[in-house]
Amino acid sequence: MTDALLQVDDLRVTFPVGGREVRAVDGVSFTVEPGQTLAIIGESGSGKTVCCRAIMGLLPAGTAIRGSARLRGSELLGLSDAELRRHRGSDVAMVFQDPARSLNPTMRAGVQVAEAITTHRKVSKREASTQAVELLRLVRIPAAERRFHEYPHQLSGGMRQRVMIAIALACRPKLLIADEATTALDVTTQAQIMELLLDLQKELDMALIMISHDLGLAASYADEVVVMYAGKIVEQAPATQLFGAGGAVRMRYTRALLDAIPHLDRPAHTQLPIVGGRPPDPTALPPGCSFAPRCQYAEDDCRAKMPTLAEHTPSHRWACWHPCEEGGAA
Amino acid sequence: MAAPLPEVQLATAAPPPLPSLVNARQLRAQRLGRALRLWVPAGIIILILAMCFLLPLVTTLPSSTNGNIIYNNEAPFSPGHWLGTNVQGVDIFSQLVYGGQVAFEVAVSVTAIGIVIGGTLGVVAGYFGGWVDAVLSRVLDVLIAFPALVLALVIAEGLGPSEIHTIWALSVFGIPAVGRITRGATLTIRGLPYMTAARLAGTRSWRMIARHILPNIMPIIVTFSLLGIGVVIILEGALDFLGYGIPAPTASWGNMIANGQQILSAQPEYVLIPSIALLITVASLNMLGDALRERWGTQ
Repeated sequence: MTDALLQVDDLRVTFPVGGREVRAVDGVSFTVEPGQTLAIIGESGSGKTVCCRAIMGLLPAGTAIRGSARLRGSELLGLSDAELRRHRGSDVAMVFQDPARSLNPTMRAGVQVAEAITTHRKVSKREASTQAVELLRLVRIPAAERRFHEYPHQLSGGMRQRVMIAIALACRPKLLIADEATTALDVTTQAQIMELLLDLQKELDMALIMISHDLGLAASYADEVVVMYAGKIVEQAPATQLFGAGGAVRMRYTRALLDAIPHLDRPAHTQLPIVGGRPPDPTALPPGCSFAPRCQYAEDDCRAKMPTLAEHTPSHRWACWHPCEEGGAA
Repeated sequence: MAAPLPEVQLATAAPPPLPSLVNARQLRAQRLGRALRLWVPAGIIILILAMCFLLPLVTTLPSSTNGNIIYNNEAPFSPGHWLGTNVQGVDIFSQLVYGGQVAFEVAVSVTAIGIVIGGTLGVVAGYFGGWVDAVLSRVLDVLIAFPALVLALVIAEGLGPSEIHTIWALSVFGIPAVGRITRGATLTIRGLPYMTAARLAGTRSWRMIARHILPNIMPIIVTFSLLGIGVVIILEGALDFLGYGIPAPTASWGNMIANGQQILSAQPEYVLIPSIALLITVASLNMLGDALRERWGTQ
C-alpha cells in the first residue's frame, strides 16, 4: 500500500445546516494507484463531489472534515491554503462539469493556459505561450495558434472543455480529478473527451478519478469502480469484475442502477425499470441500510442494521445483507 | 416487470401558428434604435465636454467672474454676450462654460476617489469575506445610513467652502456607494466556476483579484460611475446653491441658480439656463449609462 498515489482513509465530511449536522461523506476509503482510472459513481447528493472537494481543500469554512487523504504519503487534509497551493495544479488538478463558466470570459483562452504554467514554474512569458500552444495541440485543438488568441465565447463546449483539460495538464499532474467532466457535453463530444482523457492518461502516466452518475461511462473506461450511496461506499470492485463476462454486481443498488440503463436488445415499448423513491434525507438517515427504503428485496434485518462494507470475494467489496446471486441478474 | 406502455392517442390537432417572423425592416429599426440610444447621449456629453474644456482654449470668452455694470441685465443674443449678462453684468455663457468645468472636475474626481477607495474596499470585502467583510460592510453601511447631503454640509461647514473640500465632502457619499456595488459584483464573480478553477491551479489571491475579478466587474463599475457622475453633479449644484460648495465669485451652475432665484419671478431665465444645462448633462449621463448597461448585459 506504500506505493499508492492517493490513499483516502475513513474520510468523513459533515456540514452544519441549521443546527443539525449533515453527513455528506461518511467513512469513505479508497486508494488510487499511479496510472489507474477510478470511477466514483452515484446519484446527486451521494457525496461523490464533496469527497473530492474535501481532498482538494475546496469546501467552505465551517465544514468538519475527518479522516485522512495522503498523496504519496503526505497528508492533504487540514493544510492551509498556502500549503495546498504547492499541490494544486502541480500534483493534483481538477476539471469541472461546466466548461461554459469554468473559463474567465475576459481572458483569451491561450493566456489562461499560459497563466497556469507561469503559476508554478519560473518561465518567461514567451516560453509559457509556446508551451500553451503545445498543450492546446496535445488536447487536439485544431489550429491551436489561432485558438490561442480567441476568447472563450468563440469556442464550442467541447473545445472549452479541451482548454480546461489543457489548463489542468499544464504542470503535468500525477492525478487528475474529472468531476462530471463530460456531463454537460453532447454524446459524441462526450466520447471524444473521454478518449482524449484516457489517451493523455497513458501518455503522461497519470491517475484519473472520474466522478460520474453514468454507470455506462464507468463500465467502458474505468479500471476500478466505486459506487456511492448516501455518503457511503456501497460497492467497490474492478470494472471487469463488475461488468465483464462472468463478473457480477452484488449490491442491490448498483444492480438497480444497471437495470435502469436502456438497452437496444430490450423488447420495444416496455417500461424502463427505475429506482423508485428518492435518495434519503441526509439529516435523517434510516438506522439500517440507507438504501433499504427503496430496495425491492429489503427485509427486516436490512431496516434494523447497517451492513458493513467488506471484501466478500477477492478485490470485490460490497455492503449488503442480501446480495444478488453470483453471475445472475436480479 | 416490463409492462407494455399504455396506448397513447397521438394528437392530430393543427399545431398553433408560428409567431410571425421579424422582418428585416423591424430588425434594422431595432438596431438603429439601439445605436441611437447609445450615441445620442454620448454625442451630447462629448459636445458639452468640448464646450466646457475646448471652447475657452480656442476663443476668448468674457470673464465669468467680473462684469461691467454698464452691461448689466443684457438680454440673451446681445452682441458679445450670447446668453446675455446677469445683474452684475457678468456674461452668462461664460459662467455656464466655467461652471461646467467645475461641475465635471468635481464629479469626475469624486467618482475616481469613489472607485479607487470604495472599489478597493468592496473588492477586498467581497473576495476575502469573513470578518474582513463584516467590518468593511458595517463601515460602508454607516456611511450610507447618513443622509448624504447633510453629511456633506457638515464636512463643507467644518472645512470651509472650496472646490477641493467639496470634492472630499461628496466623496463621503461616493465611496460607500461604489463600495457596495463592487462588493456585490465581486461576490457574484467569486462564486463562478472559473474562480474555483483558478484557485485549483494554485493562483495567488492578489493575482485572482487583478486577473479574474477586476476585468469581470469593470462593466458594472463603468456603468455605475456614469450614473454616479450625474448624481454628483446634482449634489454639487445643491451644495453650491446652499452656499457650502464652490465659493461665490467662482462660477458654478449651483451658484448661478442661487443668484438667479433672487429675481426668479422677474427674470426666470437666470435660473432656467443653468437648470437646463444641468438637466441635459445629467439626463445624458443617465441615458448613456443605461445604454451601456443594455449593451453589456449587466444590471
